[in-house]
Amino acid sequence: MAYRMWEIMERSATGPFMEEAEFLNKRIPRKMRDVVKKYGITYDPAHPVPADDGLADAVWQAAREFFVEVGVYNQDTHRVMYFSEDEVDEALYTAPSSYRVGEGRDARVFGWRAVEDPRPPFCIFSPDITYDEVDHLSACLAYMKEPLLDAICSPLLEEFMGRPIQSRTPWEIGGSMEHAMNLRHAARLAGMPGVFMIAVGTAETDVAQIAVSDAAWGVRPSDGRLVGSITEMMTNNAMLNKGAHYQMYGSLSGNLAGTIYGAYSGGAEGTAVMQTAYHLKGLLVHSANFEQNFPFHLKYGSNSGREMLWVVSMFSQAVARNTHLVMDSNGFMNAGPGTDMLFYETAAHALTSTVSGANLWESAPARNKHHNHGTPLEARLGCEVGHAAARQGMTRAQADEIVNALLSKYEERIPDAPVGQPFQELYDVRKAVPKPEYLDRYKRVKEELHGMGVEFPY
Amino acid sequence: MEQVQRLRTALAEGDEDTSTDLARALVEQGADLPAVIAELALEMEDVGRRFERMDIFLPEVLFSADAMKAAMAVFGPELAKGAARERKGTVVVGTARGDMHQIGKDLVALFLGIAGYEVVDMGADVDPLEFIHRAEETKAEIIGISSLMTTTMPGATEVIDILKDKGLRDRVKIIVGGAPTSQEWADKIGADGWAEDSSGAVDVVKELTATESGRA
Repeated sequence: MAYRMWEIMERSATGPFMEEAEFLNKRIPRKMRDVVKKYGITYDPAHPVPADDGLADAVWQAAREFFVEVGVYNQDTHRVMYFSEDEVDEALYTAPSSYRVGEGRDARVFGWRAVEDPRPPFCIFSPDITYDEVDHLSACLAYMKEPLLDAICSPLLEEFMGRPIQSRTPWEIGGSMEHAMNLRHAARLAGMPGVFMIAVGTAETDVAQIAVSDAAWGVRPSDGRLVGSITEMMTNNAMLNKGAHYQMYGSLSGNLAGTIYGAYSGGAEGTAVMQTAYHLKGLLVHSANFEQNFPFHLKYGSNSGREMLWVVSMFSQAVARNTHLVMDSNGFMNAGPGTDMLFYETAAHALTSTVSGANLWESAPARNKHHNHGTPLEARLGCEVGHAAARQGMTRAQADEIVNALLSKYEERIPDAPVGQPFQELYDVRKAVPKPEYLDRYKRVKEELHGMGVEFPY
Repeated sequence: MEQVQRLRTALAEGDEDTSTDLARALVEQGADLPAVIAELALEMEDVGRRFERMDIFLPEVLFSADAMKAAMAVFGPELAKGAARERKGTVVVGTARGDMHQIGKDLVALFLGIAGYEVVDMGADVDPLEFIHRAEETKAEIIGISSLMTTTMPGATEVIDILKDKGLRDRVKIIVGGAPTSQEWADKIGADGWAEDSSGAVDVVKELTATESGRA
């Protein structure tokens, strides 16, 4: 029962000692280079959505071997935790393939999807962007109003009572509680009191996460939480604290993992293998119930470029074909709201993810770094594309063609992508609805996508 | 010269063993080591440029840096017999308090080292006062603070505030960076430099240390 938290705590304290630099600078890149070569994994830029089952299975095999041989490093104890093949098999066998999430009439099923699955993806709406404190409730409400929303995570806060929220201070606790309260209040106002919240992103630390666990005003046991990964295949005691709390409180726990393209895992091939391996880390180390995937480009911080869409497709196919794990694919775009480019990027990411077997987490615009630069409308388009692709039975080959066409519209502009406009300029903040001209832009791009072969249900 | 070229190739390919062997051979032949090292520095600059273009990735840079270290481990004792090496400057780096994300800081440390600076890497989640104490101990010219989350950006502000309170603000330069940061924010908190990526950070450090030298 290696994946039980007490066993993890034991291994974390008694595993073999290793210097962090040895683990990160030598062990990870060398083993990754070896498995990529051994399993013959090759990135083909011509096909961002490959229809090659053998390649997907090779990525899975490489990831599994990588995970078993490299292990997971605890930064606090400087020890490596290892897991045997049997333990991996046991964890994979016993992991549920779906969960009932949320409460009452707002409850949904969040489950495993197959490659080219005709069932629509579970749609988590989240910009992963910070908003002005005064507009935070409106931003939460605007997201709650989205028709395809199955679950919600951010908007985030960066100030509490006018002061910057700083990690591990009372302002973080206060801001995290305010975030949870606003989400809960917005859910009630929107008539979705039982909606599944994956919350709260403002709470970066273990203490702040524990502080927001309250069924009356904050995060309920029926909600979801996240445990982040540090640099590749590393954890620490704060992350283990979060995992332990979530299990005892009863929340569903997601493993938040973003492999960095160009960093320790190398290029597209290593990034896909690492992102796949993270599913095992989440399952065995953090007892994660689902995997939240956001691989991103070292230089741009996005995953909508050609090489990143290939990564998204490959890890999704590898996991969907070889396990029944529940997972989602989180879009990180280059352009900001109010631009056609952001809509194209989100559509490409959603299409790639959906046909490859992932659920959707849409989406972080403007490289996830510009305050107020996120709106529900780009996420709406992404989720509509996901529903359409699944319902019409779109194949990977068909998606590949459309994604290539979409890439031709924006990939040259990635290095200098437009930042776009803030939420307050694109939405009527008091009503929490998009302004007519912004809605027109969305409708025009949706028409364009329809012309490219996306058969929207409505 | 051929051996120097082969050593450059060993660096480019990240071949530690060959690098060590060729370095030993050059020492035995009585080669002009400062000239050899200058050649190797050119090779590492090229490695950096290829990484910046993403023609190669971090593992290749790490392997090249290891090969460079292997050669320098051979040259070091020989150089110690001669004149002292030129001191470019010392930079203390770390991630802001509460921030566990190290990749940006790691890249900056790696490329500053390749560029010839002494780097004091304090790791992740560094207390603001510890940055200052370490800079004082090592007589560092610059403190570099990385933040990957908006909630840890105030950690950089704290370092600047404490430096002011201790009357040390003019003794050390502060550079900041990380995904959610910007030049605008760096200006707002009174930092001396900001960079979008690791190569930009090296440029900023070169600029700031050149300014320091000019003042001296």
